Amino acid sequence: MRSFGAVAATLVLAGTFYASGPASASAKTTLTLWQNYGTEQNAVATKNLIKAFEADNPSIKIVDVAQPGTNYFQLLQSAAISGNGPDLAVMWTGIYDLQYSSYLVNLKGNVPASDLAKMEGMQWEAPNFDVSQGAYVMPLETQFYIGFYNKKLFKEAGIKTVPTDWTQLLADCKALKAKGIQPMVYGNGGQAISTEFYPWYDMSYLMIGAHSLASWKGLYDGAIPWTSSTNIAQLKNWATLEKLGYTNSDVLTNTANIQQFEKGKAAMMVDGTWDTAQYTSTMGSNVAAFVPPYSVKPITGVVEYPGDGFSVTKYSKNKKDAFKFLDFLSTTQAGNIINAAGLIPDISGLKTTNPVNQEMLNFVTKDHMTPYPMMDNYVQVNVGNAADSELPSVLANQTAPLKALQNMAQAWHLLPAAQRSSKDFAG
Amino acid sequence: MSTTIPTTERPTFAPRVRRLTLKRRRQLSGVLFALPAIALVVCFIGIPIGQAVYYSFTQWNGLTSTWIGPSTWTQAFHNTNLWTALRNNGLLLLSVPFALALPLGIAVLLHQRVAGWRIFRSIYFLPTAISWVVLGLVAERFFAYQGTLNSIIHALGFSHVSTNMLGYESEALIALGITFVFTMIGTNTMLFLTGLATLDPSLEEAARIDGAGRWRIFRSITLPHLSRFIQLAFVMTVIALFSALFSLIFVMTGGGPGYATTTMEYLIYETGFNQGDFGTAALYGLILFVITGIVGVVQLRLIGSNE
Repeated sequence: MRSFGAVAATLVLAGTFYASGPASASAKTTLTLWQNYGTEQNAVATKNLIKAFEADNPSIKIVDVAQPGTNYFQLLQSAAISGNGPDLAVMWTGIYDLQYSSYLVNLKGNVPASDLAKMEGMQWEAPNFDVSQGAYVMPLETQFYIGFYNKKLFKEAGIKTVPTDWTQLLADCKALKAKGIQPMVYGNGGQAISTEFYPWYDMSYLMIGAHSLASWKGLYDGAIPWTSSTNIAQLKNWATLEKLGYTNSDVLTNTANIQQFEKGKAAMMVDGTWDTAQYTSTMGSNVAAFVPPYSVKPITGVVEYPGDGFSVTKYSKNKKDAFKFLDFLSTTQAGNIINAAGLIPDISGLKTTNPVNQEMLNFVTKDHMTPYPMMDNYVQVNVGNAADSELPSVLANQTAPLKALQNMAQAWHLLPAAQRSSKDFAG
Repeated sequence: MSTTIPTTERPTFAPRVRRLTLKRRRQLSGVLFALPAIALVVCFIGIPIGQAVYYSFTQWNGLTSTWIGPSTWTQAFHNTNLWTALRNNGLLLLSVPFALALPLGIAVLLHQRVAGWRIFRSIYFLPTAISWVVLGLVAERFFAYQGTLNSIIHALGFSHVSTNMLGYESEALIALGITFVFTMIGTNTMLFLTGLATLDPSLEEAARIDGAGRWRIFRSITLPHLSRFIQLAFVMTVIALFSALFSLIFVMTGGGPGYATTTMEYLIYETGFNQGDFGTAALYGLILFVITGIVGVVQLRLIGSNE
């Protein structure tokens, strides 16, 4: 028995030594980062940011874990409940991230205020849009929901300027169709987060066309019912695109929309900045940006918003090091990495070198369009989910606009009273 | 010869203990043996059900819960999506007869040792060995606008006809039902084949000698013999319909278009994990639990069996 005890003690000691490793290795902190970027440019940026951060901080290692896009937030939520999730997680900003605030750490007091001040659009992601209350997400990039068009196909159809309202858009679609060119293409090949296409790129512009930025608050608190006649009219106009054959007929099941646009099989598509670099790489100077003109009057707003970034989780055992990474995102070095990946840095004063991204920035700086937040990051989550289910069917003319909006209104009515109020909103 | 035991050596008897009857001892043993199982059932079924009942009256985000009260229930029944999901579950029940009849037909044919029956048996059983997620992905490509179904239709010369079943609210549920029937074919076919293997061939021979035709033999001998297997397949199919369709829906339609293919289990997932509203999800779970219980009792009554 004595010999057995000695062997056991030796094994335990050896195991302990093996587990702790050499002194230098034990000093290294390992952080886990979850992201749902798939093959988007954001994934490239994240990888390169980690590499640069690790070079600057040799005592910290970040393990980049790619999670599926379709159920990323569900996985994150489950991990949070069991307390075994990542230290750092990709998070969408705005009201969207507030639903997860119970397991995220506020940046206030953890990232220097001077560095937070460098980031643009922080007011949109602060609780009640009040920056003094801090925020839960350090933005990765400035994003645009935007339209892309094929210059060559426009030229073939004799279109000289991009459309700016419904009438012009329908006329241009007619001209393209007459030339045998499919005007627009829809599908879930872009941001593959559900089985159908993501409707919020279009819905944001439908609501920009319907309401001023100041009055968007009314959509949140019910002052403007979702079933208002203006909203119904906008959705009807949108559905006309498919009804008149100006989109692909399989808008709900198409998964190859990006490739179809790149190959010149369609003249326009509505997407986001995360795919700009891919388009400029495959289509060169033949691709350009335009503001989806879903408006009776010439459209005056564009969706420009720091739509995603990174958060530190409450259950992280290495919060201090995790916040170091978030702080790193505010540096010029990080901004250059983000730009090199084809994205628009969210840091004040930094520029983009991608010409199509620059066109988007020009909509605000030169054309003086009003920057709007992404509507999906602005509405209540349950309303957003109802819209996710209903809106694609509206474009496909499977669901009447009123029915879809009634479902969104129902989701709004079922919310607790506190979530239907905007009385604490800043500004 | 008589012996007398000295008083000091006389045996002493312990005070008499009242002994349990054999029946009582058996009952006690039974309870003791059942205790571990009872404890497990209470821990893993009883307590979670109790928790679900409690949380159904709360607003719960998975971490913290706030007591709301019975208004959560009244509010839930005002949600049209709940009724849509219940309707979809009800409509999908219509696929159950097909999920039984088709495998039964296949099993009878295989039992008659038609040419190549061994290969066909493997082919029909193959889907059972494949994950439902994979089957869902295959089905999604099959029903897609640019998928296999349209290729077949066009190859048959109907190039002007194109379907897009998953893209239409009125057809997506049918496509889902067809896929569900397909996923059940393997299991149910094997079940019926097992039943047919236990059928005494002399019964069929005797009936044939008596002049009974194939249909009469099937109706009067084969079918009654298979009744217990059909009951089992029926129960398994209905359970699968209520509790295993999630993966197919997740990869094929995501519950859409609209809410056209959202079933109760998918609604529970959406509510809990997509909206973070675990209280309402628990409530929906209880509704599904009650419905499944009712369906179970009804099907046992219909079958006329308490087994």
